Amino acid sequence: MFELIQNLGIGFATALTPTNLFLGFIGCLVGTLIGVLPGVGPIATIAMLMPLTLKVDPTGALIMLAGIYYGAQYGGSTTAILVNMPGEVTAVVTAIDGHEMAKQGRAGTALGIAALGSFFAGTVATLIIAAIGAPLTRLALLFGPAEYFGLMVFGLGLAIVLARGSVLKAVIMVVLGLLLATVGTDLETGQDRLTLGISELSDGVDFAVLAMGVFGIAEILRNLESPESRNVAIAQIGRLLPSREELRQCFGPIVRATGIGSVLGILPGNGAVLGPFASYALEKKLAKDPSRFGKGAIEAVAGPESANNAGAQTSFIPLLTLGIPPNAVMALMVGAMTIHGLIPGPQVMTKYPSLFWGMIASMWIGNLMLLIINLPLIGLWVRLLKVPYRLMFTTILLFCAIGIYSINNNPYDVYFTAFFGLAGYLFIKLGLEPAPMLLGFVLGKLMEEKLRQALALSEGSFMTFVERPVAATLLALAAAVMLIAVLPAVNRSRQKAFQE
Amino acid sequence: MAGMPARYLRQDFLGGLVVIAVAGFAYWLARNLPAGAAGGMGPGTLPKGLALLLGGLGVLLLLNSLKGERLARWSIRGPLFVLGALVVFGLAVRPLGLAVAGPLAIAAAAFASSEVRWRETLIFGVLMTLFCVGLFKFALGLPIPLAPWLVGY
Repeated sequence: MFELIQNLGIGFATALTPTNLFLGFIGCLVGTLIGVLPGVGPIATIAMLMPLTLKVDPTGALIMLAGIYYGAQYGGSTTAILVNMPGEVTAVVTAIDGHEMAKQGRAGTALGIAALGSFFAGTVATLIIAAIGAPLTRLALLFGPAEYFGLMVFGLGLAIVLARGSVLKAVIMVVLGLLLATVGTDLETGQDRLTLGISELSDGVDFAVLAMGVFGIAEILRNLESPESRNVAIAQIGRLLPSREELRQCFGPIVRATGIGSVLGILPGNGAVLGPFASYALEKKLAKDPSRFGKGAIEAVAGPESANNAGAQTSFIPLLTLGIPPNAVMALMVGAMTIHGLIPGPQVMTKYPSLFWGMIASMWIGNLMLLIINLPLIGLWVRLLKVPYRLMFTTILLFCAIGIYSINNNPYDVYFTAFFGLAGYLFIKLGLEPAPMLLGFVLGKLMEEKLRQALALSEGSFMTFVERPVAATLLALAAAVMLIAVLPAVNRSRQKAFQE
Repeated sequence: MAGMPARYLRQDFLGGLVVIAVAGFAYWLARNLPAGAAGGMGPGTLPKGLALLLGGLGVLLLLNSLKGERLARWSIRGPLFVLGALVVFGLAVRPLGLAVAGPLAIAAAAFASSEVRWRETLIFGVLMTLFCVGLFKFALGLPIPLAPWLVGY
């Protein structure tokens, strides 16, 4: 306990310096600004805004990026509530009842409760990270390559189970991601692999480029196909602060959602994505009158938003303690850390305590800032959303192009982004979900490295994965999870759960 | 692809074909990479293994495609101009700088929407470029070329 307070002390001392406070503020603000644009989710926002952090010191850069992330999430909820155009999967749930509330003239209250719920969830999640960060890091230092490999296979197994739609398609996307990760120079022999002789590919495919293509660009193409159907002609925003009665109604859902979201967020394999869905389903089950759901029930906004924010935050845990990114956003964080010469993993906490704890403290400060900046700025976001999409998408595209070019100052990255944008469009048409592919890609390189290291240590014997108890357990868990996913009965209830 | 035959195609049928093609292409690219002897792994082990696995999964998808959703309509205009705008930006940014690449990209992208309006697009493109120059070049000092032919950087 004393250790926890001491660590948070270091963190707040770092995060509260004027420079870092300012960087966090700017991050939250521009994150929200870009995140509000329809169809731009957190992944595209971070990839687009990463260049903003290039000239800042590593601690400041990570604080700013975290701010951008929370801002983008909150901006996404704003768009989901006001115009029913969620930029990412997790905001889909918010859009259901949030947009109904907006149509009834209660947009302000929906946005207000989303902000309050997120703040509560963020506070709890920050404490959780601070409390279990250190012990988990110590545990991670005991992990060898075989254990890491097992953990990542388990993560991919979970990602497959948690993906929406058919299991076969999710497996296909994971394998495709793993295959894409092998592009580039071989770690041991230095041979070029699958590079088509393009020298720009010898470092492999850049993650920001891939993510921007399949999420950012493909989303523009999808939106262009459906004729403009936005309805921002909302008569009034209404009261921002929920009434005492509404707060009382939402307290339980927010607390439950924070718990669900925090636990799911820690899981490797993008568990955070499930949080809002789980919270919505749970509250609907617990409600006295479930028929209100879908017609503007305030708990159906408060719960999923809190779960989303809690998960968004606890998903930093696998990254900061184990060095394994559990989802695409965290993979972008890996990219940002690498640019600044930091290798994510258990050594970050011991080597750079002020960076580690400063970032954690800044999470809480960022949540507070969102609450303060966003409520008064809602009028501005509404006006921004009235810009016609035919103008908006050209701007989004230009920002994408400048952002991607600036990461490596390389025009090829812009071409590759266009290519992956086309691939993303193809995936949409073929009903293939890109999220599992990104996770496969992210973990692919690390997995190959750990697999080869483990085999080198065991002199080529695969028995190492059976003989080491932790690695064996993790691999068995992964197998069990995937087996369960293909069982027909479970599969059917899984489909049903996602349809709800 | 928006024609008659596409409407009778199942989504997963085409999906299976695409996956098999990608797997085949990857295997072909990896054909000369040593797969490694028993025990050790070579550079080719994973690419080849994964390509084979992917191909197998593609066949499964193809076989399961008798039922399932039909293919939705495709559009050509959106992808052509949006992706074209990115390529134009990439080609122009080094030699001509952001001052030219910006408006060019916006103008090219604007055609992706059927609601394109000439004057609006031009004015908007110039304004947005000014904004981006101010933000990325001057406020943030990113090393993106501004207008090498005019100001030398």
